[in-house]
This record gives sequence, structure tokens and C-alpha cells, in this order.
Amino acid sequence: MMTLCMGAAGIGLAWLALILGALVYKGTAGLSLAVFTEMTPPPGDAGGLANAIFGSIVMTIIAVLVGTPVGILAGTYMAEYGRFSRLTTVVRFINDILLSAPSIVIGLFVYELMVRPMGHFSALAGAMALAILVIPVVVRTTEDMLNLVPNALREAGTAIGAPRWIVIRSVGYRAAMSGIVTGILLAIARISGETAPLLFTSLNNQFWSGNLNAPMASLPVTIFQFALSPYEEWQQLAWTGALIITLTVLALSIFARSLTGRRT
Amino acid sequence: MAQMLASEMTMTQSVAEKAAKTKIEVKNLNFYYGESKALKNITLSLPERSVTAFIGPSGCGKSTLLRVFNRIYELYPKQRAEGQVLLDGYNVLDRSQDLNLLRSKIGMVFQKPTPFPMSIYENIAFGVRLYENIAKSEMDGRVEQALRRAALWDEVKDKLDASGTSLSGGQQQRLCIARTVAVKPEVILLDEPASALDPLSTAKIEELIDELQADYTIVIVTHNMQQAARVSSQTAFMYLGELIEFDKTEKIFTSPGQKRTQDYITGRFG
Repeated sequence: MMTLCMGAAGIGLAWLALILGALVYKGTAGLSLAVFTEMTPPPGDAGGLANAIFGSIVMTIIAVLVGTPVGILAGTYMAEYGRFSRLTTVVRFINDILLSAPSIVIGLFVYELMVRPMGHFSALAGAMALAILVIPVVVRTTEDMLNLVPNALREAGTAIGAPRWIVIRSVGYRAAMSGIVTGILLAIARISGETAPLLFTSLNNQFWSGNLNAPMASLPVTIFQFALSPYEEWQQLAWTGALIITLTVLALSIFARSLTGRRT
Repeated sequence: MAQMLASEMTMTQSVAEKAAKTKIEVKNLNFYYGESKALKNITLSLPERSVTAFIGPSGCGKSTLLRVFNRIYELYPKQRAEGQVLLDGYNVLDRSQDLNLLRSKIGMVFQKPTPFPMSIYENIAFGVRLYENIAKSEMDGRVEQALRRAALWDEVKDKLDASGTSLSGGQQQRLCIARTVAVKPEVILLDEPASALDPLSTAKIEELIDELQADYTIVIVTHNMQQAARVSSQTAFMYLGELIEFDKTEKIFTSPGQKRTQDYITGRFG
């Protein structure tokens, strides 16, 4: 039995090692300063991923700015004000569905909601799609982390005469802080690799664009496009882009880990 | 000389009057957790500036009774109280009571130490800031005064910025008492404040309770009968949600009027 388990674990790890190995091997080959400074090239030319990296960062920031407050407030309702209400059970159930919903569905949803009425793809629509992906992650971690705050602490804050919202702000959030931040980091990690929702919303852009009302390049969509292309330079850039995303997510995960580790 | 004597006499008189004055009066109090009745028709009055102990076996309702005094039970659904709890004549259970203001007048210390996730200084300033807008220098004084009152100042004066949770259990509990005292309450409720502490810390807390009764009306719930005998002036013995006996502590522990009280304090049950 133990041998079987170890074998299974070994197989899983081996694939992971292979993927990471290939990624590092092929990705680093194309890694240079130009990747971060030059625009995505036309086929057959040399270039970089600067516009895609910038687009990813812009859309991620907007998504987090929109999704995090909503997620934290909803999680706060569930763990504090609505702790014993039936609505919380319903919201938790729906949130769990949203948490595991295929991201392409969310892309289509935002396409119908924003892209179609506006008549064109836009960075804003992309950011909204990502925000919808951020919300359930943040809701979940906020609720879980606030639920871990001992009731005794809540009672102590209340007993000293503090109104509910001050107890939540000064005691609850403070005690759950590192957990909530971890949730946000994990949400960023999740959306930074999402391709499907962006295909329907922000699409892609060959050029540097800071216009939120126009299509915007992003790393995942660029990788998707370049990796499928027959051009060697594009394929190389796709590998490099994939490596950049992977390293970013890895760094975020490690950072999130170190935060939770410090809490206990 | 005669004048001095006279003034002394009036002083003793006023002290005697104060001792007799009722701070909290409970009238026909019933309490329910959902359908189950946890307190049955409790009536008793607690004198001002003295220590009253609630004793009884687990589940007898002593903590529940304590939690009615500041209505902390209202944090949870399906718990309700019927009857009257008069604080200086005003019914605490009255819907129109400003709950937060009420709670600032009735401090509470819990079984497990509950320092807030902030610095030692902030732990104390937190409550003060809620109802008073005072300058930093004055706040420093209040924090020091509260910590001195809780006999913790000498141990923490050099690390006021350290986290409250970095203190030992006994220190944390004294921090909680300091925090409670800092908001200048009239009543202090102690819910088994020493049951999670070592004997030395327990002794310190008991000493503190003894000192605090000069200024505050103190109610303590305890499992430890020796503790009740040591710190309190009155003792209420409760059993299965009923108040069995309420009298001077001395009387309860030497010649209780009820057989059940006698059985409990001699260790025959509970």
C-alpha cells in the first residue's frame, strides 16, 4: 500500500518536474532585457513582451481593486453580521460554485454584459472578468480567517463597550490580517494565469496601450496566440512568457506561505 | 477634637451607608437558550463596592447570570432574558438602553485571557478612546495608571509597544483587568478569571480583586470554592439554574442554610 502511494506521488512529482524543467530550459533561452522593454513583434521579427506584461499588471491591479473590497465585505458579512443567518449559508454555497466555475464561463458572461453592449473588446471588460474571479477567493478566505478569530476576543471587544463595527475593524481584521492578505495574494496568483476570460474580453493588442476602453495585451493571451503560431520567434516568446508567469505565481505563493507561517 | 470626632463619625456612617447600597438588583430573572430554560426566577441584590461570588457545579447557570448583566449574550441568536436587572435602578434589559454605553460601565474579564491583537499600550488605549477624546500625554497617564492598578506596570513599563499576546498567561489576564479598569467602569464582572492560570498568577489576581473592591462592585464566577471564600463578601450558590442560597460568604461556608449548599461545599457533589 505504501509503495503504491509513494509510486503515485512519485509519478505526480515527476510530471511536475518535467513540466517545470522544460519550462525553465526553453524559457530561459529567450530571457533577456528585450523581453521587458520591447513590444510584441510581428511574425518573423525579434521583440519582447513589454506591452503584454504591462497589460497583465494593469488588468490585475484593477481586478484586485474592484474584487477585493467586495470580497472582504461579503466575507465580513458572512463571518460577523450574518454569522447565524440563513442567507450566509446560501451565499457560501453560491460562492463555492463560483469558486470552481470554469473561467471561460465568466469570460462569456462579461462578454455578454460588457463587450457586446459596448461594441468592442476592452481592458476594462478584461479586468471585470478577472475581478469576478477574485471575489470568491477573497470571500472564502476572509470568512474562514474571521471565523478563526476566537469568539472570546469578539466578546472582549464588545464587553468593553465597542460598537460592532469597531470590534470587527480593530479586533477581527487585525487578528485575521495575515490570512486575508494571503487570500488576496492567492487570488492574484490565480488570475495572473487566466487566459479564457481574457480571450472574450480584453482580447490582445500588438502595441503598447494604456487605454482601458480598448483591447489590451496580456501575458496569457499572448502566450496562447504565440504558442499556436508557426513562427519560431513567437514560440520562443511564448515559452519565456510562460516562465515569467510561473515564477511570478511561485513568488506570490511563497510570499503567501510565509505570511501564514508567521501567523501561527 | 470633638469636631474631628464628629466628622469621623459621619464618615463611618457614610461608609456604612455605601456598603449597604444596592448596585445591581436582579428581579425574577429567567433566561432561555432556545427552548431550554437556564435561569429560573432568580432574585438577588448585590451591594456596591464589594465582591460577590457565584458558585455552583458546571452548567448551573452562574456564568449565564453574569452574562446577562452586560447583555453580552445578545451576540448570539436564540438566547433571551426575561425579568429585570436593575443597575442603579435602571433596567439593563430595557430595549431602549444604549448597549455600548452600558457595557462601558460594566467591565468584563473572561476565563481565558483575551488580549487584543495590538500592543500593550493600545490594548488599554483602545477602550479609553471609544468614549473619551484625550491628548496623548493624558492617555499615557491613563495607561500607566491602569497598568499600575492591575499590578502590571513594573513588568511591562519598558515594553509598552510589545504585542499584548507576547505576555505570559497571568500577565495577559492582568492586562485584561487593566484594560477593563482603564475605561472607569462601575461594575467588574469576572468569569472564572483565574481558572486558566498557575497558582502564583492566581494569587496575584485574587490580591488584585481584594484591592479593586474599594472602588468597584465586583462579581466573580468561580469553580474554586476556596477562592470564593477568600475573595468574596457575599456568595450565591446556584444549582440547575436556580439560586439556592445567597448570603454572607462566611455564613455560606460555615453554616449554610440549605442542605444542597452544604453538600456542595463539603464536596458531596459537583
